[in-house]
Amino acid sequence: MNYKQLIDRLSEKSGNSKVKTKELVQDTVDVLTKQLCDGKGVSIPDLGTFSTKVSDEKKVYNPHYDAYMMVPPKRVVEFSPAAGLKEEIKFLETRNE
Amino acid sequence: MSEKITFKDLVEQISRQSNQSQSSTNSFIHELVQIIEGGLKKNGSVSISGFGKFELRWMNERTGTNPQTGEEIVIPGQNKVVFKPYKALREDVNKPYASLKARVLGDTASNAVEEKEEPVPEEAETIEIPFIAAKAKEVRKTSVPVDELLIEHDNPHFPENDPFATLVADEDAEASIPAILPNEENVAKEVQKAGSFKWSYAAAVIIALIAFIILFLMFQRMGDTSAPATADQTEQLLTPVEPSVVPDTDATAEPDPTPTAQPEPTSPLQTEFEIESHTVVPGESLWSIAEANLGNPYLWPIIYQLNGDIITNPNQLPAVAELDIPIISDPENLNEFEREQVALGYFALYDWNRENSPEDARFFLWAVGVFSPELLEEPPSEVDPDDLTFALNR
Repeated sequence: MNYKQLIDRLSEKSGNSKVKTKELVQDTVDVLTKQLCDGKGVSIPDLGTFSTKVSDEKKVYNPHYDAYMMVPPKRVVEFSPAAGLKEEIKFLETRNE
Repeated sequence: MSEKITFKDLVEQISRQSNQSQSSTNSFIHELVQIIEGGLKKNGSVSISGFGKFELRWMNERTGTNPQTGEEIVIPGQNKVVFKPYKALREDVNKPYASLKARVLGDTASNAVEEKEEPVPEEAETIEIPFIAAKAKEVRKTSVPVDELLIEHDNPHFPENDPFATLVADEDAEASIPAILPNEENVAKEVQKAGSFKWSYAAAVIIALIAFIILFLMFQRMGDTSAPATADQTEQLLTPVEPSVVPDTDATAEPDPTPTAQPEPTSPLQTEFEIESHTVVPGESLWSIAEANLGNPYLWPIIYQLNGDIITNPNQLPAVAELDIPIISDPENLNEFEREQVALGYFALYDWNRENSPEDARFFLWAVGVFSPELLEEPPSEVDPDDLTFALNR
């Protein structure tokens, strides 16, 4: 489901206009992003938890230079799905559309 | 992760941001979650612009062990939800670290092999045993090996039969050997670079070694074993010393290249991609599919390579075609197999472009070399020599 379909469905469900729905979703995204940037985790019931993690500095091989490179630490987003969601989708047959 | 904010706080913040009541925001988020869940179940993926994409991924059946009983169990195939943050979110979150750049280390692939063979100081205790054992036995046999030692280090005044004198000689030996080994060019270079700071490490290691040797000698005197110990003296000494001298040239790095820092080739070789399928939507290109699904648009040739029978023209995708898309766990650190596949993809594109747009073909050949220099050296089929020169020199 792409973003447009998401907005369509959500506006249908909530009765808001599409423009309004889009704004709301973007506000949500902004707040989530801000929290994650502050290094805080965010739990959303029934969906899961977003958090950030700093990966360690590591050494990797770069074939272009034929040399090893030190890749600096990096902060990445992690998501762990809620237990209920995990169970529900576990044995579904996937159809990517 | 240090702290979490509560759902209540989250709702409050969102309602402030969007000028809505908290109760309507609360129900909005619940609706959003339901839609996301519904979308995952129905379509297998949900994307939220500016944030990321939720996806179902099928994990194949595998065996694992029950951590409590140690028993082997079969974990059945199942779906899991993965979340792929989009670029905007990735960059925002990584802002505090964005200024850090990867830097090239001096060692090349061939050096790394050497490094791999060298013991890491943390493992030194296990490795030392044969080394010290050999040493202790030499002390028993005394004269010949000790002589060698003394000659080598211009230090002929130690009484031959005193084991502790040998130890002192050892210390000298260890301190001087890296410098007097012209055949170990790299080592010598590193030693020069390392300067006095590194020598303090070397000294610390040597002191630790001596302590070990003394302990072992005491022990050895009580017990009694005899075995030939004629291995080359210099080599024996060299092995434990080297790691303290060789590691990264920068002064902040810890003195030991830990095993975790070892190159990828140690991981089991992959021979096949996990495949997911993707239906082409009007407006998509291989580039955009690679960006959304693989995480790095430059990997698109991999899709072309895997779907050669469907895609006749890489610039034009057949409408509503089902494409096989490989699953790449970390698009920023490809493993060897993945790199090779991308390179093969670029090579296939090179072939295609030679027939259809000869002007651009050489750039694809160059890209082959970026991902896999080996493939460029031994191309799977004929290449134009001019293109090859271009690819090699660019």
